[in-house]
Amino acid sequence: MIKLALPTGDLRVPTSERLSAAGLYVEGYGEGSRKLRSLPVPSQPDARVRVFRERDIPMQVALGNYDIGITRLSFVTEMQVRFPDQPIVPLADLQIGRAGLFAAAPQDAFPTLTDLGRLTSVRIASDMPNIADKFARAARFPRYRLQSVWGAAEAYPPEDADLVVFAAPDEDAVRKLGLEPLFSLMSDSLWLIANAAALASKDLTAILTPLMQGARGTHNGRLRLPAPINAVPSATERPPRDFVRLAIPDGHQQRHVHGALKGGGIEFEGYEEKTYVRRPPSGMDGVEVKVIRPQDMAQLVALGEFDLAIAGRDTLNEHLFAFPNSPAYELIDLHVSPYNISAVVDGDLPADTMDEALAYWRAQGKRSITVAAEFPATADHYARSRHFWRYQVMPIAGASEAFVPEDADILIEGTETGKTIAENNLKIIDNINRSTTCVIARRNSEPSGPRAEAYHALVERLRKAGEAALV
Amino acid sequence: MRSKGMRDMLPADMQTFRRIEGAFLDVCLGWGYHEVRTPTIEHLYLFTQAGTLSPQMLDRVYSFLDWDGWTGERVVLRPDSTIPAVRLFVENLDGASAKLFYVQNVFRFDPGDETREDWQFGVELLGDTFPRGDIELVLLAREVIDSLGVNTTIELSHPGIVRSVLDRAGLSRSEQLAVYERVLSGDLDAFEEVEEKLPGSASIHSLLATKGEGPDYIENLRTVLATDIPGIGAPLAELQAVATMLSRMGLAHQIAPLGVRSFEYYTGPVFSLYAGDKRVGGGGRYDALVGLVGRDNVPASGFAIDHEALAPLLPPAGARPEPVTIRCESEAALSRAFALARELRQGSTSVQVVSGAPAGGREVVVSEAGYTLALNGGSPLQLSDIADVVRELSRP
Repeated sequence: MIKLALPTGDLRVPTSERLSAAGLYVEGYGEGSRKLRSLPVPSQPDARVRVFRERDIPMQVALGNYDIGITRLSFVTEMQVRFPDQPIVPLADLQIGRAGLFAAAPQDAFPTLTDLGRLTSVRIASDMPNIADKFARAARFPRYRLQSVWGAAEAYPPEDADLVVFAAPDEDAVRKLGLEPLFSLMSDSLWLIANAAALASKDLTAILTPLMQGARGTHNGRLRLPAPINAVPSATERPPRDFVRLAIPDGHQQRHVHGALKGGGIEFEGYEEKTYVRRPPSGMDGVEVKVIRPQDMAQLVALGEFDLAIAGRDTLNEHLFAFPNSPAYELIDLHVSPYNISAVVDGDLPADTMDEALAYWRAQGKRSITVAAEFPATADHYARSRHFWRYQVMPIAGASEAFVPEDADILIEGTETGKTIAENNLKIIDNINRSTTCVIARRNSEPSGPRAEAYHALVERLRKAGEAALV
Repeated sequence: MRSKGMRDMLPADMQTFRRIEGAFLDVCLGWGYHEVRTPTIEHLYLFTQAGTLSPQMLDRVYSFLDWDGWTGERVVLRPDSTIPAVRLFVENLDGASAKLFYVQNVFRFDPGDETREDWQFGVELLGDTFPRGDIELVLLAREVIDSLGVNTTIELSHPGIVRSVLDRAGLSRSEQLAVYERVLSGDLDAFEEVEEKLPGSASIHSLLATKGEGPDYIENLRTVLATDIPGIGAPLAELQAVATMLSRMGLAHQIAPLGVRSFEYYTGPVFSLYAGDKRVGGGGRYDALVGLVGRDNVPASGFAIDHEALAPLLPPAGARPEPVTIRCESEAALSRAFALARELRQGSTSVQVVSGAPAGGREVVVSEAGYTLALNGGSPLQLSDIADVVRELSRP
């Protein structure tokens, strides 16, 4: 049996076309399909396909759960930078989804990396934190802090980051975002990758041969790093803000938050149920609003970059499980978008509670428990508090319902109705906590002076929104 | 179950460790140094800000976000002791000088099976100028290792030699750093590539890769190189000063122009101690480091002895006397057994209290009736008074 890991998302269709052109049509993988697991390859009965978010594929291939994968080379590099010994072999550039990985700064702010290095501390935002960290070390920034973000890193400069390391189609696309590319780290595209042990011990030619044809002699995908800069930090501090900053979410919470705000009489022009502009006018004196990913909000509030943020309690809990000393806390419950964070297992597991599951696995002599989770700190806290014996938390980027039972024993997942869980032959055996959308604030740092009035007025209106949602 | 790259220290290992530690403490205290210890965890920026660890070294540090790392700034398990010791000096000690020593571990990732945790016996001499402090540290380090019965040879170098060559080659500051980092990581080919940009006909790379004996060799280098590379004069003169003093004291040594180690903070003469071909320790002058960490510059130098390298080279230690075994026959006799153990330990006799079958060797069986001694296979001796037991056991 040859096991393949293929990408979901935007590259699903071109990848499917490429496979079909190579005589490896995958049933249920093409346009419009949402299937994730056990997809057959009719021309190769010994092959089975599982579909993942691209970011998750390198780990699955490294673990040996899959022999061959197709994913962006940048995600492989992101993993190899942190874990140089992991057994992945990039084999060939499939020349799909061309892009680049860039280090970019706000236009006209920092013409060179040396100018950046003169900051007291360089604020770097990236959804590729390992590569960004290596980049900062190679550049020899005297001091920097890295904001690891879930996505949309380009939205952070100039207010919330001095430098962003992110993927874009090309340099022009970077400039269109108001950023200036200071360094090109790598050329990126979909690559064919393999597990080293599988390469060494299994006959993979039935899949590799047709895919390798026409994929050789392609561009160099190696990570490039900057020469060391020679900068002495200056002591200049950033000027204090004279306005209040509020972060509001995009993604699946947007609709709920839009509704809750409206219920409290708050409307931001351009922030609708399904569409948004990045910086909608607030319509309130002294208040600035920005739309970012909810997963990153608690940290930004803790840092003082935002005074208030609206996000799910699950994201705040994840932050606090990772950093118990953080000053971020829940100020107001908006009572919308309710769901549970639950422990989910295979529907056929003979257990209805976590205690029963643990007892069953122990009786079976199971040596290690694999927990898949989009919120790894929450999962780790849960595993510790439930006294799991040896366990590993597998951070995942999405497409989570297909991980159990083949690739993980437990899934820590947000569940609303339980319908998707049941459809995938899974079951909930423990509810860990209940999440609703809340307002996050920073402990012991209420604004003073001219900002105080705007802050308290905004808090009051958000409180009313929470109360209105209850009614 | 043991984590990769970490190692247990078994009783025999700890015995060796304590021998080195004991010798190190005796010598350091004898020279007027004071012991300190820095925390295992430090801010990463302590090392990046000082600009003194190469990216290659920084790639090997154990860095992570601490429980309060929500600021996005990472911490590290200390990869080096000198920079934390300098931070300790800057933040805690008044005055322009300090003589410090420490015994502590450092953590550096190794991709293979080598240990990732090393113990260092280190000395930092802050505020003492060239060349007196440099000579003192060479003598101190030698004294520690000599006292352990290991013969060493001394090797001297100076990072200014490499830097002056790179400067003369017309490399920009960034290019110099890049080449220097390659040299520090052992890639001497980098130096060969620079040679094309240098004036003169001498093969700089071959010349500097040659190790020579004492002050005469330094003079030869100066004669051949100083015209084309004027900047090499100052480091060679500093090296010469140390080499001449060591020669006067009868200490043979080698000059290794490219013998720089993987730390960038050295600004003056550096030395290594070798037992055979094994480097067991070394250090050097770092006059700019205190300024980089946050105070006005203070001249300074230091060294560390590497436990991992030195421990296997120690000659066997004399056997320790086996402890006296006190075997307790009943619970009622337990208090009597522990009282005897305390008396013996106060007399510096090592004791173990056991129950169960006889273990052999020097043994006392304690019962409610008294004490039975079995000594060197002789007939058992019955005693009732604890003082008599102590006296019998203290006989040679």
